[in-house]
Amino acid sequence: MSLPQLLTSDEEADTLPGQTPFGQSRAGFHLRTGLTWAVLLTLLIGLFSRMGLDFGLIQQKLPFMLGLRLSPDGFIQGAALTLVITVISMLFCTLLGILTAAGRLSSSGIAFGCATFYVSLFRGTPLLVQVLIIYLALPQAGIVLGAFSSGIIALSLNYGAYLAETIRSGVIGVPRGQKEAAMALGLPGRVILTHVIAPQALRIIVPPVSSLFISMLKDSSLVSLMGLWELNFLAQSYGRSTYHYMEMLATAAVIYWIMSMALELLQGRLERHYGQGYDQQHPQR
Amino acid sequence: MSFLSKIAVMSLTLSLLTAQAAFAGATLDRVNQTKVLHDVLVNDYPPFGFIDDNNQLAGFDVDVAKAVAEKLGVKLTLTAPGWETIVGGKWQGRWDVCICSMTPNTERAKVLDFPAPYYSSPAVLVVNKDEKNIHSAADLSNKKVGVGIGSSYENYLNKTLVIPGAKPIVFPFSSVQIVPTDESVAFQNLALGAGTRLDAVVSDLATAKARIAKSNSFRIAAELYAEPNWVATDKGDAQWNKKVADTISALRADGTLAKISQHWFGEDITRAQQ
Repeated sequence: MSLPQLLTSDEEADTLPGQTPFGQSRAGFHLRTGLTWAVLLTLLIGLFSRMGLDFGLIQQKLPFMLGLRLSPDGFIQGAALTLVITVISMLFCTLLGILTAAGRLSSSGIAFGCATFYVSLFRGTPLLVQVLIIYLALPQAGIVLGAFSSGIIALSLNYGAYLAETIRSGVIGVPRGQKEAAMALGLPGRVILTHVIAPQALRIIVPPVSSLFISMLKDSSLVSLMGLWELNFLAQSYGRSTYHYMEMLATAAVIYWIMSMALELLQGRLERHYGQGYDQQHPQR
Repeated sequence: MSFLSKIAVMSLTLSLLTAQAAFAGATLDRVNQTKVLHDVLVNDYPPFGFIDDNNQLAGFDVDVAKAVAEKLGVKLTLTAPGWETIVGGKWQGRWDVCICSMTPNTERAKVLDFPAPYYSSPAVLVVNKDEKNIHSAADLSNKKVGVGIGSSYENYLNKTLVIPGAKPIVFPFSSVQIVPTDESVAFQNLALGAGTRLDAVVSDLATAKARIAKSNSFRIAAELYAEPNWVATDKGDAQWNKKVADTISALRADGTLAKISQHWFGEDITRAQQ
């Protein structure tokens, strides 16, 4: 295998089969990727099948863990609740991230101070501690939040801080000449932001932001501490209630993985969309 | 309202609220007004509290809570947050009562009230079925012993366990290597073999029996000390505590507690102690 080919496969290693176009023999590349996945997956399944798991139990609990049934108090549960918590938190943390990145890039000392303080505080303390403080300490200031809103606030605040830095890295990653050229053309400031800076910054930040969101999907398991019947809560409860801990944990892991794959697919689409202008310059992408 | 006065009001509220957790009668009034009893319990502690095949919270503690709510003539809601969010107290009106297999100790009594005992089940020493050397608590010196993190068993191995109102507990071992983890993890470790990761686990008799019924990896080496389990409430509402205590007494007197206990354990573990 030649060096360029090696580089190509290396770069594509973290994406899914079926989304790896470009390169000289496209079909061959697809085939090899698909086969590699099949072999690795078979090995993984082989490993798990040697553990003597009780698949009857998994089959019985699966509809509950996926969230096809409601919890006893009529709320959604399982993977469905995990997904809802993650999607709502994504929206709030994106807003927070953009605001904070703007503050971090701002020339106002107060905005810069607020942004850096927030990022430092929420990036520098563990999410678990934040969840517990928001749930347990805020009530002592007279603010008694439900488990659902506490969870969303904690996830949004924590991931907003990381996201702010990711967005900032995208913005400062756009060469200065781009802005200067746009200004020389007489484009108004807003248009420079939305049509020159943003599209190029997005191309840079899509992979790290996707990683953040995948990470958030799994960190949403921490809200089970507050008694929300999300995927991890059910896996732990069912596992301990039936004394078949490993079965339920493995099932939850598979469900988390499948949900992450959906996000990876979305990432691939977004990368292709924002990478359009670059494909000709870097044909191996 | 200006920003500064908001801060002033907030800090005032803060100081008022930290001064007293729940003022007298507040919980009782709330339960009477809303006609709802918010019970908090544990979701992964079979057979006391767990999630059954129909995806419902079930177990001995759940049935006792149902009986209490019925006696009070109110609706019951169940919540199962992490143990650490319960034992810290300061519930701020989120929950009214904890029928959650809690053993009082001096630390917990500082932040929670314990109106009534509702069952007693001894702490036991569980070992791997192949264990040869551990026969009693005296054999625990320098052994690796697993316990649920934050449990009263951890206090026991630390020799700090004092159960208010009960006779002093003896600690017949010198230093023990305590391994606090999730209790399910502790039992999985013990199942790996005698001394592989753990030499023993300290647990409750009823939960250990339920586990041994499903797995032949363990046996009970010894009973350690009587462990009364009390209904817990948030600190500071004497009227509510009296109501809870009266309700538990009534349920004991009319045989309801005994019936629930027979159903889950085939014996009555709810008789009043002392």
